[in-house]
Amino acid sequence: MTRRQLFAGAAALAGTALLAGCTPPGSARTPQELQFWHLLSGGDGVTMSGLLDTVNAAQSDYRVRPTVLAWGSPYYTKLAMAATGGRAPEVAIMHATRVAGYAPGGLLDPWDVDRLAELGVDESTFPAPIWEKGHAGGELYSVALDAHPFVLMFNTDICDAAGVLDSDGRLNPTKNPDEFLELTRAVAGSAEGHGLSYGYLGDGAQMWRLFYTLYTQHGLEMKLPEGGKSELDQDAAVESLALMQSLLDGEIAAPQNDYQSAIAEFATGRSGMLLTGVWELRTMQAAGIPFDATTIPTLFGTESVYADSHSFVLPHQNDPDPTKRDLSYRFVADLLKGSFDWAEAGHIPAYLPVTQSPDYADLVPQAHYAEAAEHVAYDPPAWFTGSGSNFQGDFGASVQGALLSGGDPAAAIADFQRRVDAVLSRPNPADPEGTWQS
Amino acid sequence: MTTAPQTTRAIVTGAARERPGHAGGKRGEQLVSWAFLAPFLIAFALFLVWPILHGIYLSFTDQSLTGAGGDIIGFANYAEALSDPTTWRSMGNTLLFTVLSTIPLVVLALIMAVLVDRGIPGQWLWRLSFFMPFLLASTVISQIWVWIFNPQIGAANNLLEAVGLQPIAWLQNPDTNLIAIVIATVWWTVGFNFLLYLAALQNIPAQQYEAASLDGAGPWRQLWSITIPQLGPATVLIVMLQILASLKLFDQAYQMLGGVASDTTRSIVQYMYEAGFVGYRFGYSAAISYVFFALIVVIGIAQALVVGRRKEQ
Repeated sequence: MTRRQLFAGAAALAGTALLAGCTPPGSARTPQELQFWHLLSGGDGVTMSGLLDTVNAAQSDYRVRPTVLAWGSPYYTKLAMAATGGRAPEVAIMHATRVAGYAPGGLLDPWDVDRLAELGVDESTFPAPIWEKGHAGGELYSVALDAHPFVLMFNTDICDAAGVLDSDGRLNPTKNPDEFLELTRAVAGSAEGHGLSYGYLGDGAQMWRLFYTLYTQHGLEMKLPEGGKSELDQDAAVESLALMQSLLDGEIAAPQNDYQSAIAEFATGRSGMLLTGVWELRTMQAAGIPFDATTIPTLFGTESVYADSHSFVLPHQNDPDPTKRDLSYRFVADLLKGSFDWAEAGHIPAYLPVTQSPDYADLVPQAHYAEAAEHVAYDPPAWFTGSGSNFQGDFGASVQGALLSGGDPAAAIADFQRRVDAVLSRPNPADPEGTWQS
Repeated sequence: MTTAPQTTRAIVTGAARERPGHAGGKRGEQLVSWAFLAPFLIAFALFLVWPILHGIYLSFTDQSLTGAGGDIIGFANYAEALSDPTTWRSMGNTLLFTVLSTIPLVVLALIMAVLVDRGIPGQWLWRLSFFMPFLLASTVISQIWVWIFNPQIGAANNLLEAVGLQPIAWLQNPDTNLIAIVIATVWWTVGFNFLLYLAALQNIPAQQYEAASLDGAGPWRQLWSITIPQLGPATVLIVMLQILASLKLFDQAYQMLGGVASDTTRSIVQYMYEAGFVGYRFGYSAAISYVFFALIVVIGIAQALVVGRRKEQ
């Protein structure tokens, strides 16, 4: 018996066993298994798991098998290595801002826009900035599931007592830093703890989220030209950082607060407001406090808010199975259409038919900040920026001292630019040949 | 070190003499010994020799984690690593941590071992509690100390406030975060050195103490004149192991700071990780690791010289 005969025999035996025992009677074929990697844990993970159960149950062509990995650099490292080997999962979730570090090196395969359109997913079904963000080098590399902006949550009881709510129970509008400081001080007056909770210590992302929201409200963006110097308007950057310092005065917000303590302060009703990502919505609902949420007020003239998107990507496969690849398209389209439940986790679904549905309008407080999806400011595109990147960590390392002990904001910004310029001056390891330009 | 090969040779010659005329016997024995050694040699070659050689090769290329690059670029990575301020800063942090942690880890271990060895009641409880933290994973101890050092609700600041001092953002303040990591590391790993000292203490003959007390030496005299000198070889070993362990600083610092890059705690191992896995530059990361390797060799030689000179004296 040759080896080939042995294998053939074993395969036949296995096939018989499947037919005899494992396949339910009446089912014509077994569904194809699609490997799906994501980084959603906690409440988001539970919600995603529910969405997957729904799409799996709704049809019999494919079955999605998720692999959940810890978010941040562990996830991105593993995804890069799987794609380098050409044996990546069929489909994965990535932050839209990380695509620039993956697509040029050939770690992602582009989406076929026509096939997506046949399945009802195209430009007209996404907010313009979110759809555009999926593109790089003239191809579509990521399809957004959501936008998750930085928002302002507020305790309705405390804010009502402070007299800062209008007749509809919405927060009074503030149009400049002074009005906002006045409002938060009023809230501090009626809160047991601070007016505003903002946790930032040891968390570069938290510092960057607020800073970039305020900076882009000046109508500006940070630019990172490859091989050049970073472009950041000094005055606007210093003004944004100085406002953050004014908030951390011990009255409006605690000068030394980390992320978890800030969440705890607001969740236990000791503070009137919280600067956080939409992903904490479930935490606050579970805490049972009376609260609402809104987009961060426009304090410097231009509506803008820091955000990122969980997006679907096709990690590079050397030899993709055409059937599985097509089923991956169907899976993504099915999940987007069923993403109403994703909104319950706080995120703003990117698929417009969902956010434009009457049911979504009834979803409070989600509907109160849904407009943020139109004014999202993503990280400046570069191979080294994005959620969970060292870029945000470097920002934190530069400005934390200024926030913690009131150092010179201009010096902190200069230090940040020095770090960024050092990275920019080195060759781009995601595209060392420079063959691909975003 | 010099006795071991002699012993081996003696056994082999002895065996050969016992069976004269067995031409194939020696070769057969050699085959058997190679067979026994093979699993180790294969693992050694596969997981140590090959990675070291491949690492040296990588350090001369611009290999990227994304699979791109891979061209040989000569000494460019080394030139960059030596002129990169972050390399030196990380190296400095690592050395500072090594000094700050090695001293208490040796001194405290000695004090703890002497106290326990003196036969205070409930010895098993002391031994257990001193050694127990060493058994915990770095993830666990990092979490424990992140709580203790929490600026708002942590036990460390409660203690400071109880004695009327201002609270400190231990892990976030660049002036204190390395100290905080040293404290956590000492608590975590002192048990191992304690155990080594305890074993060494039990090797000191009791007669020496008896003779000393007959001569009228008190406990302090005995400690200075018998215990500490007798522990000399153990101390050399413990200091050497501790320096090597402290130079490898990475996991607890990385985890206690939540993976955030901090200029004052980034160790050289963390910088290697950042350069390779976060910055995608495998070649550059490999070059940094060989620069670090050179530093360890220098420290090793320096240590050997110091110990050697002391022995001569």
